[in-house]
Amino acid sequence: MKHTLKNVFHSPRFLVGFIIFMFILLTVLIYPYFVHRDPLQGLGKGFLEPGTYVSVYDTNNTGTYRVELPEAAANRLEATLPVKDRQTMLNYLKAMGADVSGLDTSNEHFEELISAWKANYSEADAKKNKYEGFATQAQRNALKRLDNSLNADTSVAMSIVRGEGDSATTTKVAENDYVKVDEVANAVTLPLGTDNFGRDTLTELVKATGISLLVGLLAGSIATLLGLLVGLLAGYVGGIVDDVLMFIANIFTVIPGFVLLILIYSALGAESRSIATCAIIIGITSWVWTARSVRSQVISLRNRDHVNLSKLSGHSLFRIVTTDILPYIASYVVMAFILQVSSGILAEAQLSMLGLGPNPNELPTLGLMMNWAKLFGAYTSSNAWWAYFPVILVIALISFSLNLMNTGLDQVFNPTLRD
Amino acid sequence: MKKILAILLAAMMLMGAASALAEATDLPRNETLYFGGQQWDPVVGYNPLGDNMNNGLALSAAPRGTRTVMFETLYMYNGLDGKLYPLLADGDYTWNDDLTELTLKIKPAAKWSDGTPVTADDVVATWDVSTKIQNGTYTGYAPYIEGIENRDGAVVIKCKLNEEGKPANPLQVLNFLSGVYMVQKNWAEALCAAHNDDATAIRTDPTPDVVYSGPYGPYFANDQLVAFVRNDNYWGQDASMWGKLPAPKYLAHTIYKDNDATLVAFQAGQIDVNQQFIANVQKLWEEQGLPIATYSDQPPYGICATMPTAWYNMDIPVMQVKELRKAIAMAVDYDNIIENAMTNQSPSFADVPRSVMNPTEGEQAMYDHDAVKDLQWVGKDIEGAKALLDGAGIVDSDGDGWREYNGEKISLKACCPDGWTDWQAAMNMVAEAGKAIGVEIIATFPTWDQYQTVFTKGSQTEYEIFMWSPAGAEPAAPWSRVRAFMSSEFIGVDNNWSGNFGHYKNDRIDEIIKQIPLTTDEAELKALYTEATKIYLDEVPSFSLMYRPECFHAVNETVWTGYPEKDDGDNIPPMDCTDGYGIAALYNLELVNP
Repeated sequence: MKHTLKNVFHSPRFLVGFIIFMFILLTVLIYPYFVHRDPLQGLGKGFLEPGTYVSVYDTNNTGTYRVELPEAAANRLEATLPVKDRQTMLNYLKAMGADVSGLDTSNEHFEELISAWKANYSEADAKKNKYEGFATQAQRNALKRLDNSLNADTSVAMSIVRGEGDSATTTKVAENDYVKVDEVANAVTLPLGTDNFGRDTLTELVKATGISLLVGLLAGSIATLLGLLVGLLAGYVGGIVDDVLMFIANIFTVIPGFVLLILIYSALGAESRSIATCAIIIGITSWVWTARSVRSQVISLRNRDHVNLSKLSGHSLFRIVTTDILPYIASYVVMAFILQVSSGILAEAQLSMLGLGPNPNELPTLGLMMNWAKLFGAYTSSNAWWAYFPVILVIALISFSLNLMNTGLDQVFNPTLRD
Repeated sequence: MKKILAILLAAMMLMGAASALAEATDLPRNETLYFGGQQWDPVVGYNPLGDNMNNGLALSAAPRGTRTVMFETLYMYNGLDGKLYPLLADGDYTWNDDLTELTLKIKPAAKWSDGTPVTADDVVATWDVSTKIQNGTYTGYAPYIEGIENRDGAVVIKCKLNEEGKPANPLQVLNFLSGVYMVQKNWAEALCAAHNDDATAIRTDPTPDVVYSGPYGPYFANDQLVAFVRNDNYWGQDASMWGKLPAPKYLAHTIYKDNDATLVAFQAGQIDVNQQFIANVQKLWEEQGLPIATYSDQPPYGICATMPTAWYNMDIPVMQVKELRKAIAMAVDYDNIIENAMTNQSPSFADVPRSVMNPTEGEQAMYDHDAVKDLQWVGKDIEGAKALLDGAGIVDSDGDGWREYNGEKISLKACCPDGWTDWQAAMNMVAEAGKAIGVEIIATFPTWDQYQTVFTKGSQTEYEIFMWSPAGAEPAAPWSRVRAFMSSEFIGVDNNWSGNFGHYKNDRIDEIIKQIPLTTDEAELKALYTEATKIYLDEVPSFSLMYRPECFHAVNETVWTGYPEKDDGDNIPPMDCTDGYGIAALYNLELVNP
């Protein structure tokens, strides 16, 4: 046993798969100890980009520090009005026939550009004259947004007012006043932003991964156990038992498994869809191929000498199967189990993607996350890669790691593949 | 030999594919206006008297905005000002004193596509043939219209009278003006003769050679694309109508697989006018910098005219408890629905307090805001909802966290069709509200086929809470909305698409619904609408979840520009450039690069 384990862990493929899988598993187990957040609680409004969000309100109550960044002024100008927008302004001024001599997009001429813009641009004028290159509504709207962003100019002196009425005190905020982010009472880092409901995507993803793994493990166990039982009985007992069991197995083979899954699942209704029912249904629709391969292996083992010897010694069916047959196919069963887990996870993701997964009000699932991301245009209008890409990556990594472990094991146990 | 045959076969297949492609791309882009979100699956036919023609661009009749691309109505409804504008009709209609007869004239310039003039006889024939074949027009308007006659060249619509000798409903007659396509008498009679007056055969005939009066006629239709070509002899270029032809020579609609495919094509500029809900539509221009615009560039981006509503099913005993209905409605976080589900494409309930009115100014002025102030809830009132339930004795007595009614745990299903994104998100938030007040609500999304058969039944116990929209803007609104919310006439009616899907009954509201159409005094009307609003808000037979545009309208200005824009002074509603008075937009379009 020890030797086998050593061999197994010497297989690089298995090792890589194992490490990836353990990393995912450990993250799922440990993460909740660090972040105590209901994965379904909405934090923001709609898709928020990944990043750290600091309460503007609470920055008032922290100390301020003097920091002199040499590039601060330039950064501020770029943030206020990116060079791209300055070019648009220039183009517009040219199109309307204003004097643009001496104006360019550089920081030196920033003020001149702004004053030229303010002197010439007006929404009504743009609408009335429809200058070339700025005639469409979309183009004019873009100009309007640009103009609005100028009005919220950050270079205007900013001050904080505390209190109300007569007792109010005003503090000027200087350009080189900084706050320390960890001193702000309320700041939240959302490494993967939020989904369309404003839920923290990372927390939701970790919880969903845990549920997927659970469903996969349960479904895999059920499928493997069922397959093993049917395969052993059919293979060892043979005769009419074999015929009947294989008849059932053949029926399951000809019905497309996924269609069956969808039909059973839609019939169940949302209320009764829990993790357990999900796993059981996936399990009982995917045991067939395990059963068939176990059966064929058992048939080849059935007439070996040591089995015959056991039979002659009068051992019971149960004992022969468990001591004389099972150990010989154990490695195969382990590999089949890994593949069953992998396909169980994929089946769950596919079901949830169709809106048929475990009750969506109580639990997040990987498929459901992708379903909502799709419905809310995460990869079309809403432009939110963080809502679906990490989910796809996790599903790919789980099934990649499990398959890698499987081929690693195959290399160790299958003599014909051994280097 | 075999080889040659194989090569020949391959060549034939290639040519077939190429010709199919050529056909689909034959339309010159600079002369074609492409639509999105209006046509799913291939067109069946062009029969304006028939049903199930599945022809989104040509046959889409609703009083709030009938698509008058190919066939025309007497008047066009404009949701912006709530007025009817004459199309085939000449000038305004007139009522007689006791509202039993409506008289209108036909424009002398109006012509059919075969060159013959449109006459009062055609209007009469439209009604008579509809009556004969019992089509949708007949079943929809027969309770209100006795008949139509040609009185010295003028069209006279006679109202059906009720037991008291008063007109059954003059408001519905106005809906007829903007909601029914007119057909040519000769064509209709020939069609009837060809089918020996067999109603079913007439209604299902695809009539590809139909005579029409609108600016566009059929060009071609297959399973990938449907296109219409401009009739350059269109009568509307007469000075008495538009004075010119619509700008695009072709109107076309590619048949896409689903919303996502439509949106991708829209982003790529293959669609000019798109009628679909686009989540976070502002990101298309703010972040992606696409030449896309909506009616207004500020939220709610369009004109909201309807209110998707959650209906309580009164066929289920527990739903008859008024306190439970109100508590759930109070607990729902509407701001969250509007921000997350509608991505701000709706005004909030703080801006436009809930009532039976849509958020347009015209309707908002029709009830007394102060009188119902105390009844209007803004939502997310968890404590208030809990107190209401506690007061009604609906408490959690077995300590499982869920409240019981008569000793049984309350468990409700909140349903809407699968794939209806914003509605699904809204139902999820109703379920969350239930969780917060200890009432189990499970959001469930049946397929559309299943959903539509269940919620339109005369009686059903499958869905406790479900979503549908009442009537939006139309000539008969807001009366039609009061009726859709609460009229008991729909109880027990199977295949009911008209209203009161939850089968609520209140005798007083039935009286009000009868009274309003016959009331012309404005103060009296306002009092009636205020009372209706009071009853609606107090009894909560249903509750609106958000406001929503009648149709979504987003345009990609890669090829065309000059679409209706808020405050542009044109008074053209953002109705996809084809619906009701929205079709006026087609005459204003210009090419971006001529």
